[in-house]
Amino acid sequence: MTVAPRYRHPHETMTTPSTILLVEDDGALRTLTARALRQSGFNVLTAATGAEMWVTLREATVSLVVLDIMLPGTSGFDLFRRLRRESDVPIIFVSARGSEEDRVLGLELGADDYLAKPFSTRELAARVSAVLRRGGGLDSTSEPVPEMRSADAIRFDGWEVSMARRELRSPSGAIVDLTGAEFDLLSTFLGYPQRVLGRERLMELSRSRIGDSSDRSIDVLVSRLRRKLQAEGSESPIVTVRGVGYMFKAEVIRT
Amino acid sequence: MAGRFVALFRRMGLPERLLAVLLVVVIIDFVANSFLFERVDSFMLRRDDAERIAENLVLARRTMEHAEAGERDQIAHVLSTDRFQLHWFAPGTRRRGSLGLTNLRAQVVALQPELAMADLELHLEELPGKGNIGGSIRLSDNSLVKFHTHAKSAWKLTLGRIAGLVLPTLLLFALAWVLVRTTLKPLRTLIGATRHLGSGPPRPVPERGPDELRELIRALNEMQERIHQSLVDRTQTMLAIGHDLKTPLARMRLRLDDESVDPEVRDGLNHDIDEMRMLLDSIQAYVDSDGRSIPAERIDIAVMAETLVDTAADHGADATYSGVSSLEVKVRPVPIRRALSNLIENALHYGGNVRVSVRRDGGAVEITVDDDGPGIPDDRITDALQPFVRLDTARARDTAGMGLGLPIVRKAVRTENGTLDLRNRPEGGLRATIRLPMGAD
Repeated sequence: MTVAPRYRHPHETMTTPSTILLVEDDGALRTLTARALRQSGFNVLTAATGAEMWVTLREATVSLVVLDIMLPGTSGFDLFRRLRRESDVPIIFVSARGSEEDRVLGLELGADDYLAKPFSTRELAARVSAVLRRGGGLDSTSEPVPEMRSADAIRFDGWEVSMARRELRSPSGAIVDLTGAEFDLLSTFLGYPQRVLGRERLMELSRSRIGDSSDRSIDVLVSRLRRKLQAEGSESPIVTVRGVGYMFKAEVIRT
Repeated sequence: MAGRFVALFRRMGLPERLLAVLLVVVIIDFVANSFLFERVDSFMLRRDDAERIAENLVLARRTMEHAEAGERDQIAHVLSTDRFQLHWFAPGTRRRGSLGLTNLRAQVVALQPELAMADLELHLEELPGKGNIGGSIRLSDNSLVKFHTHAKSAWKLTLGRIAGLVLPTLLLFALAWVLVRTTLKPLRTLIGATRHLGSGPPRPVPERGPDELRELIRALNEMQERIHQSLVDRTQTMLAIGHDLKTPLARMRLRLDDESVDPEVRDGLNHDIDEMRMLLDSIQAYVDSDGRSIPAERIDIAVMAETLVDTAADHGADATYSGVSSLEVKVRPVPIRRALSNLIENALHYGGNVRVSVRRDGGAVEITVDDDGPGIPDDRITDALQPFVRLDTARARDTAGMGLGLPIVRKAVRTENGTLDLRNRPEGGLRATIRLPMGAD
């Protein structure tokens, strides 16, 4: 079975809506979710089963799949694995189990985002848009968004960042917790190493990412992040450039 | 051959084992005694010892035969020495020692044949006191002369006799000890197994020991299996309920996003849906919080606590952190993060503020979560840790959750071999203290 290759939108504009494939076994919820997505301006195709999903994927060009993992058993995850193997279409997976393990497992398997039931129209639309923006290239004229699926583990100064798990590990291998906003800020820094970033630019880049944004000033977030990265007593990789902004000076290795 | 005996012994029940041990002891006792009798019977003294006894007896007999009955006691006393004591008794029955010395008698009679006429009897004394060899002769008027004497080489016999008495007893002790040990060993593993009953997957106890114990172990193993199965069923049921209710909740939420719904109704219902979701999540967290399948990892517990405090503060809460800036432990990150988060939420909910501190205390980490709220009445602190118990039933029911917050904390902390302690601070407010071992690596 062949699946249409992932369709990237090289010149996406607001006038050409993206096509979303919604895979959901519950009929009523499928109708409601499809309506919610249409209201948010997306083109929606639906599938009730895995088989229907494969048929649709072959026949249509799909920008993103919203996949209900269904039962917390194997079926949903198996379908998910196969889809990920055969195509690199962005996937948001929906689960009724709100557990952290499910979320991490889904993200590790290569999901682009995770949505727990019950979700609101606004939440759904925001997640879909965020994933489309990232996958399709936010502003194709400027530098490409550095966070790619292929570069999951990023290293600097002995520290290791897993983008899928949204996890930071110290040089000694310990998990160091970050708030959503702090992680987004770190991801931004890692995307632009050895480059001075202004406060406005940092804010803008960090906010475009998933994770709950915070209305804390960028200076507060930077100082928290700096403190956490300094735990080993070494020099912090984030330096202040007076009057301009901040710079991440450590060498970044992607694997 | 020995192996077959051991196998036979293993198959026997407890009463059979006891009987078998008794039988072995009786046989050994019998063999030991027969051997001793044989040795005593064929015992002979060195010639000088035998001559001394013979001479003394002949002298005593001759003197006493010629004396009046009234004087004989006196004579016996006079003739006695330290090593050869004599006593005269009026005619009567005489008690013979149980260990007769046939060969020794023959030896003595051969030296002084006239003693045969006096019906000489010799025996080994039961308890070496006045002497180790005793005996008696009968005078012509049927009265008795008893004597005790020490013979140099008879101590070996005495020793053998004592050994004959003590050895079977010692053997009985030893066998009883071994029997009791082997019987109790499976019992001890059984006790250990019952302690773990209901926590984690069943660990069957190997069926060993006597029949009765095997049956007990088998019954316990079956019970373990049943308990585990019912726990699994319970977990599955709770997870299925949580899972299945989320889909209708998701439908409700999306239906509310319809334009036609009155905004006030929408907000109210959305709030209700959120509450239901939180209830379902807390059930799931409680069921999942065993987390034994998740491996422990190194985490920075100080950063974790500080991050949770920062997140709460970012949402406008009065939350502060003090303590070390970095401290690594090896725990299961998800349940521990949830535990800390629950304590912080509780403090904010009931106390309105929270102060979190992390410090190292010897080989443990101590995390304290303080608030300035009303605390918990001292007699209800244990209740607060019970699942599905809510302390504020009489007060406003605006508390989210099902009374699973603290039980989730305790379960998570216990999984890490840590402790959770709740107490009211003297200056007011509640202090929750978690202590976690640093974890070996």
